[in-house]
Amino acid sequence: MTGLRVLTVDDSRTILAMLHHTLSNAGFEVLQAEDGKQGLEVLESQDVDVVITDINMPVMDGIEFIRNVRASGQHQSLPILILTTETSQDKRDQGKAAGGTGWIVKPFDPEKLISVIHRVVH
Amino acid sequence: MSELDDFKATYFDECTELLTELEEQFAAIEAGERDADRLNAVFRAIHSIKGGAGAFGFTGLVGFAHAYETLLDHVRDGRVEMSDDVVALSIRANDIVADHVNAARSGEALPADYGAHEKSRFDALCRGEAVDADADGEPVEEFDIEFTPVRVDIGAVPADDAFEAPPFSAPAGHWEIRFAPHQALYARANDPLLLLRELAALGEVSVRAVVRDIPVLADFEPFGVYCTWEISLVAPGITQGQIREVFEFVEGDCDISIVELGADASAAQPAPAAEALPEPLPAEPDFLSLAEDEIGAIGVSALAGSAGEAGPEGDAFADSPVPSFAELAEAIKPAVAAEAAPAPQPMAPAAAPASAPPDDGERRGGGVQSIRVDLDKVDRVVNMVGELVITQSMLTQQMDETLRARYTELVRGLEVLAQTTRGLQDSVMAIRAQPVKSVFSRMPRLVRELAVKTGKKIRLETIGENTEIDKTVIEQLSDPLTHMIRNSADHGIETPERRLAAGKSETGTIRLSAEQAGGNILIVIEDDGAGINREKVLQLARNKALVAADVQPTDEQIDQLIFAPGFSTAEAVSDISGRGVGMDVVLSNIKKIGGSVHVRSWPGRGTRMTLRLPLTLAVLDVMLVRVSESPYVVPLSSIVETIQCSRAPFERVPSGGKVLQVRGEYVPVIDLAQRFGMPTQADPESRMVVLCEAEGGSKVALIVDDIIGQQQVVIKSLEENFEQVEGIAGGTILGDGNVALIVDVQGLKSTIHHKNAA
Amino acid sequence: MEVLGIRDDVIDKAAVAAHNSLQLIAFSIGEQTYGVEITTVREIRAWNGATPLPNTREYVRGVINLRGTIVPIFDLRARFGDGQTSPTKNHVVVVMSVGDKWVGILVDAVSDILTVSRDDIHAVPEGNSIDTELLNGIVTHEGRMVGLIDLHSIVAGSKLDG
Repeated sequence: MTGLRVLTVDDSRTILAMLHHTLSNAGFEVLQAEDGKQGLEVLESQDVDVVITDINMPVMDGIEFIRNVRASGQHQSLPILILTTETSQDKRDQGKAAGGTGWIVKPFDPEKLISVIHRVVH
Repeated sequence: MSELDDFKATYFDECTELLTELEEQFAAIEAGERDADRLNAVFRAIHSIKGGAGAFGFTGLVGFAHAYETLLDHVRDGRVEMSDDVVALSIRANDIVADHVNAARSGEALPADYGAHEKSRFDALCRGEAVDADADGEPVEEFDIEFTPVRVDIGAVPADDAFEAPPFSAPAGHWEIRFAPHQALYARANDPLLLLRELAALGEVSVRAVVRDIPVLADFEPFGVYCTWEISLVAPGITQGQIREVFEFVEGDCDISIVELGADASAAQPAPAAEALPEPLPAEPDFLSLAEDEIGAIGVSALAGSAGEAGPEGDAFADSPVPSFAELAEAIKPAVAAEAAPAPQPMAPAAAPASAPPDDGERRGGGVQSIRVDLDKVDRVVNMVGELVITQSMLTQQMDETLRARYTELVRGLEVLAQTTRGLQDSVMAIRAQPVKSVFSRMPRLVRELAVKTGKKIRLETIGENTEIDKTVIEQLSDPLTHMIRNSADHGIETPERRLAAGKSETGTIRLSAEQAGGNILIVIEDDGAGINREKVLQLARNKALVAADVQPTDEQIDQLIFAPGFSTAEAVSDISGRGVGMDVVLSNIKKIGGSVHVRSWPGRGTRMTLRLPLTLAVLDVMLVRVSESPYVVPLSSIVETIQCSRAPFERVPSGGKVLQVRGEYVPVIDLAQRFGMPTQADPESRMVVLCEAEGGSKVALIVDDIIGQQQVVIKSLEENFEQVEGIAGGTILGDGNVALIVDVQGLKSTIHHKNAA
Repeated sequence: MEVLGIRDDVIDKAAVAAHNSLQLIAFSIGEQTYGVEITTVREIRAWNGATPLPNTREYVRGVINLRGTIVPIFDLRARFGDGQTSPTKNHVVVVMSVGDKWVGILVDAVSDILTVSRDDIHAVPEGNSIDTELLNGIVTHEGRMVGLIDLHSIVAGSKLDG
């Protein structure tokens, strides 16, 4: 599968870099943003097939970002995966409540990452 | 370098930034600003450090950061109060995190129980126990192993493992799955089609869409949920857990039942057993009133079975392909029907979303405000700009009066070139500029540690930390600053008792400030301690033969002696300032980056050390002079004026030396030819005096053979391939390819004539 | 058999040589021949002057610009205590790497590339302290005695007060 665009939103350059590496190797086109606000700006101007976002970020956190995306009207069917180090349920529940499609637990294994994306995007 | 190493390098860079941020946040928190934003920033920083550490398997760091993060989480939501004790514990925790990061970076192993004591206190706090931050108890062992970092794969087995089938119970591997999404599933952009496709990856599936609940079109809600699915899955060796994993993201957003059929299928529901995948229904193009083919190929045949004629009961399970609901919703929303093109087969690779607009260039590039560039690339540009500046100034020098008069266009062109080059140079330098904050923020921890080690009370004030300097200068700044602050804490600030006895406040202050002054950055380290003990310093310097017995240096020169090679005022080599390297290292490091150090002391009141650093490393405005047959350059910023020797008001002093009288001030004279041991044939009357101002406003007059002109040069290090040379701050390469040496005005001024090089 | 015009026995020799031999760049100062291991040599260039460095010993001839970096030049004759060379365009600077630094040494001429066996390297005879300080060993090649330069000690202690 190639040609799909992924927007990655994380304030950690390390995570952004690792996502970029894994995703671009798998044929995705990767866009990056460092917080939710930047993420929204990207979504305003660019079409994206799937979003991967961190929760804990400055300026606008992941939960608020997801809420905003869903509230915008144009992105109801945009899959959003939450990146989380939490293995506990409550972070995921929060993310889901805001409109998150699924989640990815850090540290991620490249194959799993790709297969999870395929679970939410064509 | 492998990719992993690249990522690690990124990670460690990031950690450095995050640790800096932590220092800043806690400086404010310590000062009483305990608002939610700060706590969130702290939490995020620790969280990010932990996240990356997990990726690289730094388990010690993950473990500690996790426990710390848990505490911060408790503090954030008010379960634990941000008391002073908790602040103190957190600051200690930051240091431990920093140590973990450093250990991970250098590949060293920290003791297994490193930070265990603090960790146990986090845990106790989170359990609601009061903890005395100053208690120096033994690490509580039971908590050592409380958190074991576990690498959790994506799509881990869901919580309700109880449902998981025993490993040997499913030889036939025949499962019947009913799946009824709620609206929330679609609202979160999950797509049944993809889930079904993923199921198909587990084994052989046949899918029946249950469409009997789909209303007639008049009652159709665009976002209503009408379709459910029944799936037969034949997949030997698959566990229920694996099937549940497929539905992991939609748990709670759907009704799902997963039943394993017995090997004899006796308990099976009346659902048809595994059949070959049903053929798609023929397309029904006229089913919905057709508008233009705007939407593209959307399979709507799932709707077909129920739309009008209710078929026989069995037909409710329309053996139809399953379109994505998202696609359906999109198709219906604009109230435009779609032409039923060949319907997508559920298990075939899905067609691209039909609504995706074509690519256009304009959409790209939005929201991007910065790019990350490898510093090497910037450095290459900086170097080339440096060379360009030199070439440009060389060209300008070639223009003599005749040429100027003759080629006015060329002259104008050169002027524009000069301007553009300057602009280019400034822009490039701005790219490399960074706030000194990144260095300053490491100092609070240092001061805390020094206070503990020396038993003194020390407060650190920082001013002007947003002042920007070239990144390379900043990198070179950390060691000298560390040394100087150590020196202040160790030798400057007195013990609380002594301070009280001297009528001072118990707590000593070290003030660290940065400001821009012309083309330089001044960094000042000031303390309100005892000042330099000049008597002792001079005595030591004489003992070490740094100052000849018959020379009586000025107070200023004595102060400056603390930077002399091999000098240390510590009577016993202390744990702090000692270690065999002293302030001379500071001086040589600062000189290396084209800077100078000046120290001034007031007995009983304190010491001020001033670092003067170039704004940029690359280019320096200089005056080119000749001494003997060699070219030298003097930084323009230190030159006050030039005077021909024949007109210079020299006076003899009793010792036989020369001084220059300038506006009532007697300025020491240094003949560079003599000082550098290079005999000159120049006519003494035609030689020139270059009057320079050294640090602290004191002046020195340099005598050179000739002044050649002014130009810009790129500073090159002598130490890269050689070593530091007294009186020389570095080298540079002239337009003709020859090397010229940069005169170290400050160094010449402050060196005592204990050895006459001539 | 010949491969690319190189005879087998030459290849064999080279292979053997690689194990236990040393390739040297040999250069002369007056009648004396010295050598440095070829792998340390970065560049050989004609003498074209140097900017003198103040407050250094007489064997530090100054610094030159080597493609944008400043490299110090040591006068090997002066280093051996025989007074400064009066260089001409025919004199040669051998640029070498010593640790992480590049330095040049001024010699009269580069004479040859020699392959010597490590087994043939002898210790420097006691007696002349400068020789024992500055040489790693001595090797005889075709009747000539070649002193192996110890680059680290050539470079050390070059400041006047050092």
